[in-house]
Amino acid sequence: MPLLEATALVGGYGGADILHGVSLTVDAGEIVVIIGPNGAGKSTALKAVFGLVRVRQGHVRFDGNEIANQRPDRIVRLGLCYVPQEKNVFAGLSVHENLEMGAFIRTDDIGSELARVYEIFPALNERRGTRAGDLSGGQRQMVAIGRALMLKPKVLLLDEPTAGLSPRMIELIFDRIKEINRLGIGVLMVEQNAKFALSFAHRGYVLAMGQNRFEDTGPNLLANREVAEMFLGG
Amino acid sequence: MELSGFPAYAVFFLTFVGIYGVLILGLNLQWGQTGQVNFGVAAFFMVGAYTMAIMTTAPTEDHLGGFGLPFVVGLIIAMVMSGALAFLIGLITLRLRADYLAIATIGIAEIVRQFLKNEDWLTNGVRGITAITKPFEGAGAGAEPLIYLCIVIAAVALVFFALERLRRAPFGRVLRALRENEDTARASGKSIVNFQLQSFVLGSAIMGLAGGLYAPFFSFISPEAFTNLFATFLPWVMLIAGGSGNNYGALLGAVVIWLVWSLTEWLINQVIPASMVTQAGALRLLLIGVLLQVILLFRPQGLIPERFRFKRPH
Amino acid sequence: MEYVQTLIYGIVLGSIIAVAGMALSLSYGILRFANFAHGDLLTAGAYFGFVFFTLLGWPMYVAFPLAMAVTACLTLGIDRVLFQRLRQSTPVILLISSFGVALIVRAGVQLAFGPDTQVYARGIEFPMQVGGLRIKPTHLYIVGGAIAIVIGLHLFLRRTKVGKAMRAMSDNADLARISGIDTERVIAWTWLIGGAVAGASGVFLAMDTQLHPVMGFRLLLAIFAAAIFGGIGKPYGAILGGLIIGIAEEFSTFVISPAYKPAVAFAIMVLVLIFRPQGLLSGVKT
Repeated sequence: MPLLEATALVGGYGGADILHGVSLTVDAGEIVVIIGPNGAGKSTALKAVFGLVRVRQGHVRFDGNEIANQRPDRIVRLGLCYVPQEKNVFAGLSVHENLEMGAFIRTDDIGSELARVYEIFPALNERRGTRAGDLSGGQRQMVAIGRALMLKPKVLLLDEPTAGLSPRMIELIFDRIKEINRLGIGVLMVEQNAKFALSFAHRGYVLAMGQNRFEDTGPNLLANREVAEMFLGG
Repeated sequence: MELSGFPAYAVFFLTFVGIYGVLILGLNLQWGQTGQVNFGVAAFFMVGAYTMAIMTTAPTEDHLGGFGLPFVVGLIIAMVMSGALAFLIGLITLRLRADYLAIATIGIAEIVRQFLKNEDWLTNGVRGITAITKPFEGAGAGAEPLIYLCIVIAAVALVFFALERLRRAPFGRVLRALRENEDTARASGKSIVNFQLQSFVLGSAIMGLAGGLYAPFFSFISPEAFTNLFATFLPWVMLIAGGSGNNYGALLGAVVIWLVWSLTEWLINQVIPASMVTQAGALRLLLIGVLLQVILLFRPQGLIPERFRFKRPH
Repeated sequence: MEYVQTLIYGIVLGSIIAVAGMALSLSYGILRFANFAHGDLLTAGAYFGFVFFTLLGWPMYVAFPLAMAVTACLTLGIDRVLFQRLRQSTPVILLISSFGVALIVRAGVQLAFGPDTQVYARGIEFPMQVGGLRIKPTHLYIVGGAIAIVIGLHLFLRRTKVGKAMRAMSDNADLARISGIDTERVIAWTWLIGGAVAGASGVFLAMDTQLHPVMGFRLLLAIFAAAIFGGIGKPYGAILGGLIIGIAEEFSTFVISPAYKPAVAFAIMVLVLIFRPQGLLSGVKT
């Protein structure tokens, strides 16, 4: 049984449905990428998994628990953490405080997690005391991912982690995501840089019009002519 | 035909309710239709009442004027003055968040009250203005209260039908659209602010009209008469109880809450000795404050809800 | 010398407004609504102090923290009974509710203590003469107490987990929720801290002047002006705003009637709203 399993999700933001039956799975230690054209419902699907979008029909199971429409603080306790695309750091708080906030619900010692995050992102270690709002876009993304790592998640949900970053920074962030994955953490991410992401993902989903269109391993999707023509820009 | 006993009280009661009715129709245009929080209703009511008093009383040494102008002219000037005050406040605050308007209006009410208290040359200070006459004074046989009631009812009807027409007009639809989506409204620029400003000024002018009707009704006004309780808080409770956004609800709220308010006075006087009269006032205040919370918690749409609503954002 | 004396009075008044403004700004930042009952929480705190200090005769160092604690509990109680239930509706409904709460608190105070003015201690307090200036011991207590509260609040927001979570929530409430921060717990703490600080400012105000059921409401405009001056939602900004408004109000008595003190706060607020509606200190690190 997969660690995270979303089945036939239907829902949206209260008005018309955006998702018309999306199904996804993530196994332990897997990197899974969701790609698709604008408006396909990629980010909405991710939010629906995390309880931020109302799921009218369908199920979300994580580690044996039904989590559809649950409150985020319950979901994070189970080990599923989410990094939004925008406004994903506490701008007025220092880098260190941002990481501490990620571990708010923990009452035990968070020293080893802090050390691990600073090890993965050495650039943050140098800027512990800097206000997150004063960091560059790439560094802010590191803080956001680092914050989510503080709860020792089993699966990380990332919404377009490289949006608006320079090519060098995109490469760095992807490299770090692979590093995080090597620690045994599953990753489910929505990504615009589809080719790049599929090149290292274990599996990928192509969504269109709020439904599953294709699903396959990363290399197979890259090799699929139809996917390439329609969604990868030829 | 000298009225006494219950009929006299009924005329008094209805006239008072009518004046409140006008006031609340003005508030409903601002809050109910446009979503503006005016916590300084008292300011516009006071300005209307004092303008009316100064314009229509006979010349005196005690305060500015009086100019001895006719009743209707006094009312019109009262509306203009209240509207002008609203224009100044609106110009500053309407392009900002709703809370800033609330803060600014609560402040302006305090300042207007201090002004009326301290500027003796204009208002005779704390001694107030006396001998404000009703029209048809000396019509004989004690019919004046009844005639005045008719005048107030006519004013209520006039304002009511004018506002109902306005509500159905494109103007009203724009206001509701703004109310439902304030962020978009604020982002979309100057013409939108103009709509908001027009609504705020018109609503405040109507409050000024209520003040103008109030002054001759009591024939005496002083700054003490316009407490936040009477002139701001009760109108708010009336509107929310009756149904924000609905002009019928606004009038019903005025009747019901004024009835409740009068009943609490009677009830509390039965149980609390006269020596504790100030405590009794506080107790009534407490009750009406609790009533407001109960309505907000259990029936926020009021007695007669607004029929037309856009979808409320959660 | 007269000006220096006025400056002292201004700093005393300003300290009270600053501390009250900080608490208002803090709760605004986290709860996203302007609490119109804040002034009357000051009144409640002042009268709790009156009960402990004057009626029960306990020393001020006992009465003062007790007044803070009881005001904090009252504030949290108001939230649990009313505001918490209304949080799902639009912020404007909370605004109106808080306006009603203000009247309820005021009426409660009047019911319990009557409409007349009271003082903490009868008798004349002899001011110290320092180089031709009159300084009352209470002035020192107020300014010293205000400084202690500012430092205490600063340490709370910087050093404690809940304090940091309060800043985080004020910064980005959605992200706080996503991070698993228990926002209801943070809100409860916000009311407790805000209520305690409001209670303290109320006791200061009563020490400086006298007790009256509308004492806090009369200061509400100045408190809001201080909070808006510093950028509402940013507690540190309110310190400067409070001092400037306090000093300006005292100096205004040279040119206009003291009755118009609220107008001074209003004028400053209007100027800020016209020229810098986001607050004078916006963009400054908090």
